[in-house]
Amino acid sequence: MLKKSPILVCAVCGVFMITQYFITAEPVTDLYRSVLDWMQIIFVCALLVGIINVILRQVRMASRPGRERIYPFITLFGIALMVILGFGWGIARGSPFLWVFDNLQAPMQSTVFSLLAFYVASAAYRGFRARRAESIILVLAALIILLGRVPIGEIVSPHVPSVVGWVLAVPAVAAKRAILIGIGLGMTATAIKVIAGMERAYLGGR
Amino acid sequence: MKFDRRFIFILIVLAVMIPLLFPIDLPVAITDETRAVYDRINVLDSNSVILMSFDHEASSLPEVRPLAEAVLTHCFQRDVKTVGLALFAEGTAIGYDILNDVAARYGKMYGIDYVYLGYRPQYSAAILGMGESIRGVFPADYDDTPYDSIPLLSGVRNYDDIDLVISVADGSLPTYWVEYAQARYGQKIIAALAAVMVTAYTPYVDAGQIDGLLGGLKGAAEYEKLLGQPAAATRRMDAQSLAHLSIAVLIVIGNIIAFAVRRGKRITEEGRS
Repeated sequence: MLKKSPILVCAVCGVFMITQYFITAEPVTDLYRSVLDWMQIIFVCALLVGIINVILRQVRMASRPGRERIYPFITLFGIALMVILGFGWGIARGSPFLWVFDNLQAPMQSTVFSLLAFYVASAAYRGFRARRAESIILVLAALIILLGRVPIGEIVSPHVPSVVGWVLAVPAVAAKRAILIGIGLGMTATAIKVIAGMERAYLGGR
Repeated sequence: MKFDRRFIFILIVLAVMIPLLFPIDLPVAITDETRAVYDRINVLDSNSVILMSFDHEASSLPEVRPLAEAVLTHCFQRDVKTVGLALFAEGTAIGYDILNDVAARYGKMYGIDYVYLGYRPQYSAAILGMGESIRGVFPADYDDTPYDSIPLLSGVRNYDDIDLVISVADGSLPTYWVEYAQARYGQKIIAALAAVMVTAYTPYVDAGQIDGLLGGLKGAAEYEKLLGQPAAATRRMDAQSLAHLSIAVLIVIGNIIAFAVRRGKRITEEGRS
């Protein structure tokens, strides 16, 4: 029963969400609105489970001896600090919560993200090798896109932006469409399998 | 041939720092896709309501903030009513800041000219829910003012009353806007994206599912030029240009060295045989 109930719930919800798209009757629309509310409620509960899981994991890590135990302490301190600041002084403009976010979290995240530029440059130097015909095309496309997506491309040659436009609008879109169609078909097939109870990986099994 | 990667790092630092300290003012050419977004917003007026969703994380702030500011500037210049919200938790505070900053520059009144609804989790349910009732998804704004007591929102029930949704994103959120707001409710959507996501969304523009695409710092710089107000993006384009040029030069040098090494090996092997 424990295993069958989620499959049944999933099948009923799945079939309902498909059929409601085509039915505009008021009772069905009302039920649809309730389902949307429930989706948010379930998500918030899942978020809560996630937060508890992170805290328990960090507490376990902090209790282990070693130099790296400082990191879980920092994480736990960060969680506690933001909760206290948020509930204590609110989240409006000028609040300590927003000050911490604007002056600590946002610059730190931007800094870590910016480091990618250095690794991209280093990897481009070491990795972009024109050995075969395919890799020559790849290197040439990379060079054209790199220069064409910034103003300097037009200084190099007035044709660079139009070539970039063609590369992005034709070969790149063709490849992207093929991937999107593949993903769409895969999602449809998986959804049907989940609704039919054939796909049960989400229950923790195989 | 080994090359100390620290030289590459120093080169990138210099390529970024020098133009920021000593601007070169490289000319920014306006692309059709940016002009299309500008024209789309330019037809809106004080009777129009747009919904700007801050669907991004803090990491991409240097790129998405100029995008959001440029579009918001245009909207406020045209007295377009603006409703802000966030579907990513991290975008919540950022969106609140950006909206208030730009609104203050144009003397806009909160609750009358613009409003910020804050964050709602589970974006697919939130996007679908707003198609039925925005009030149902956001019973109060970010400051906890009830929806019904905000003058701007008095005539805003659902997507029928929203002229345009602008998703400022660095990830896949515009896909959900297309799948749930555009496909189901016929909502017009513009995506203001981090540059890395532009290729992913070009098919949606071609298919007419997205009305316009504004891409990366370059898109923001082009928009600033169209507005006649060069700002952060225009200043940063010089740095991005030189960084791109440096990487291109590194790729060329890397290939020349690799070619020379391969050629040297071949000559040595031929000499042995």
